[in-house]
Amino acid sequence: MDAVTASATLLQPAFADPVLDSQRSFRAALKALAGPGVAQSLLSAQIPPHLEGLAPASHALCLALLDVDTPLWLAPKFDTQAIRANLTFHCGCPIVGDRQNARFALLDDSQLHDLSGFDLGNDRYPDQSCTLLIQLPSLQGGRQLAWQGPGIESRNHVSLPLQEAFWEERNSRNDFPRGIDVFFVAGSELMGLPRSTQVLLKGAQ
Amino acid sequence: MTAPSAFTPTPDASTEDHAARQHWIGVLSRTRRADLLPHEDALRDAEYQLIRAPEIGMTLVRGRMGGSGAPFNVGEMSVTRCVVRLADGRTGYSYLAGRDKAHAELAALADAHLQGPQQAHWLGELIEPLAQAQAVRRSQQQAETAATKVDFFTLVRGEN
Repeated sequence: MDAVTASATLLQPAFADPVLDSQRSFRAALKALAGPGVAQSLLSAQIPPHLEGLAPASHALCLALLDVDTPLWLAPKFDTQAIRANLTFHCGCPIVGDRQNARFALLDDSQLHDLSGFDLGNDRYPDQSCTLLIQLPSLQGGRQLAWQGPGIESRNHVSLPLQEAFWEERNSRNDFPRGIDVFFVAGSELMGLPRSTQVLLKGAQ
Repeated sequence: MTAPSAFTPTPDASTEDHAARQHWIGVLSRTRRADLLPHEDALRDAEYQLIRAPEIGMTLVRGRMGGSGAPFNVGEMSVTRCVVRLADGRTGYSYLAGRDKAHAELAALADAHLQGPQQAHWLGELIEPLAQAQAVRRSQQQAETAATKVDFFTLVRGEN
């Protein structure tokens, strides 16, 4: 009974209004992917109570996106008892140890030099790829890059605090229609980077 | 809800606890709201938090023809569930047929109280009387149903 009691004491409430708040978060995620490079912010009223280790927007996205059909991979930083207990309780999602089986993955900035193992989908079902939720300290402060592609009228200038290694990893795994979609999250803001967006690494042209 | 692997440390004691909890959760799930209302003040007389506020959903009921045939889907029924946590960390769960949120909250509170030091008190005050009432109700219904049984043995075909 000990393990059950232990995880039960870690449980905490999730969205105040489970239906509307998860729909609002889902809507924000949708807008983030439809307009890559534009930060979407969640209203403080729709943010779930603080869960140790997770930014408010990461927590909200997890609650909105995960369910029994979406195995989740956790980076070591997020693999805590409190996060495991609450996500498995409120979302019912299985938490997997190998990246290959995950449909969603929650990463911090220490993992971004190596994106190997995540499912890129296949040519017939590219939608079965793994979606990454990457929690950053901030959505600004890095080198400014121009993004272009579907959902962007001309160019969006984005300065995410990321190393070159991340962009190389992303390019090496982008084999359209296969590829990885990413949400960057900081505080209560999120930004989408779908596989269809081209990131111009060579500076503005 | 609860990981089966977690029930390993002391097999005997925890299996017993497990069975006892199954018993009272079963009794609570068969209550009507009116059964719990007299205890409402006592149940709510503790600091508690709603971990999962009462919510209404549906669950698929499956059955087997004659109890042993191939499984088939009987249909869906509405279910209300709730999880509460008392200030000392005990969590109470409830799953009830129907759409009564207040009832689900009371049943979850009862489950939480039943896991604490006052267990004997709550068993005596709440669970045992309710279990007896349910047994009486059930046997009455069985008796009424049995009275309508038709004995086909008395039907004789008219051949000579």
